[in-house]
Amino acid sequence: MAELTEKLEGMDVWLYHGKIHIPNTYSAGAVGSRFLIELRDNERIMGTRCPACNLVYVPARSVCRDCFGMLSEWVEVGRRGTLLTYAVAYQPNPVQPWEPPVAYGIVQLDGADTGFVHMLGEVDPEQLKVGMKVKAVFKVKKERQASILDIKYFKPLG
Amino acid sequence: MAEGSPTKPAERPEYIRIKFDLPRRYNWSTGRYLGKLYAEAKENKRLMANRCPKCKEIKVHTPTPVCPKCKVDMGWDWVELPQTGTVFQYTYQVYPLFDPHLGKTFADPHPPAIILLDNGVYLRHRLEETDTSKLREGMRVQAVWEEDYEKRGQGYQDILYFRTMEE
Repeated sequence: MAELTEKLEGMDVWLYHGKIHIPNTYSAGAVGSRFLIELRDNERIMGTRCPACNLVYVPARSVCRDCFGMLSEWVEVGRRGTLLTYAVAYQPNPVQPWEPPVAYGIVQLDGADTGFVHMLGEVDPEQLKVGMKVKAVFKVKKERQASILDIKYFKPLG
Repeated sequence: MAEGSPTKPAERPEYIRIKFDLPRRYNWSTGRYLGKLYAEAKENKRLMANRCPKCKEIKVHTPTPVCPKCKVDMGWDWVELPQTGTVFQYTYQVYPLFDPHLGKTFADPHPPAIILLDNGVYLRHRLEETDTSKLREGMRVQAVWEEDYEKRGQGYQDILYFRTMEE
């Protein structure tokens, strides 16, 4: 079932546009599920702490990357953080949540030791600077569905 | 636990399942020869095929620039195929197919058939008749075209199916 065919201008050639759906589901797992449920129900960004290495992982994970110890200590981290790095996409792509330019950033939240990847909103891409302070913007309660996109984006403070 | 006493189901933590269904898009170009077939089907509701200058065989599926048998340049010798024929062989679908374009199974009620067109070439297509008890080999059929110009442009699929002719 083709989507559409179009004739190329000035040529006896037709272009066939197709698409293939690949429906896919995966489980977030025990730790990932709790992280997403906290986003949905309590608007909290949670991390797990490794007592041996004294590192806080955001988003939460079950195993420490350095000592491979199991992590069971949950800590809440702040909604504000520091922009570690960013990239701006100008080409449109179906995965993007809005029209380009779309800015993606890695944010180190206050109290966390790792970077958290998300979008940057309410900002002109030209104004972005490494090291600037940003703040998480959540969706309203009824739109949240235990997804990483329950956070709409991070926006610059002030 | 005493029999018949109400038992409370154990509390289970909620687990989140992440769904991902993004279509992968792709394009392909028909080239000159298949493009001629697409254009004639869309513009004139005609089914075209090209003919080898050496063996004179008509290539129905699909028009090619080189004859697969003689390995010679096919040139630009086109014939229009008749739109009536007889059913040579048919089958029908019992178990639904998987459609990769939609990611679902689907049941096409139209029986696929090989149709012997009136100029003696075989065309693979499907029949309109969905009642399998009324199917028989040798019955006369006629092509039914998609009437909406905007929806045409699918090559062979511009013919929806072959309809049984009244005798």
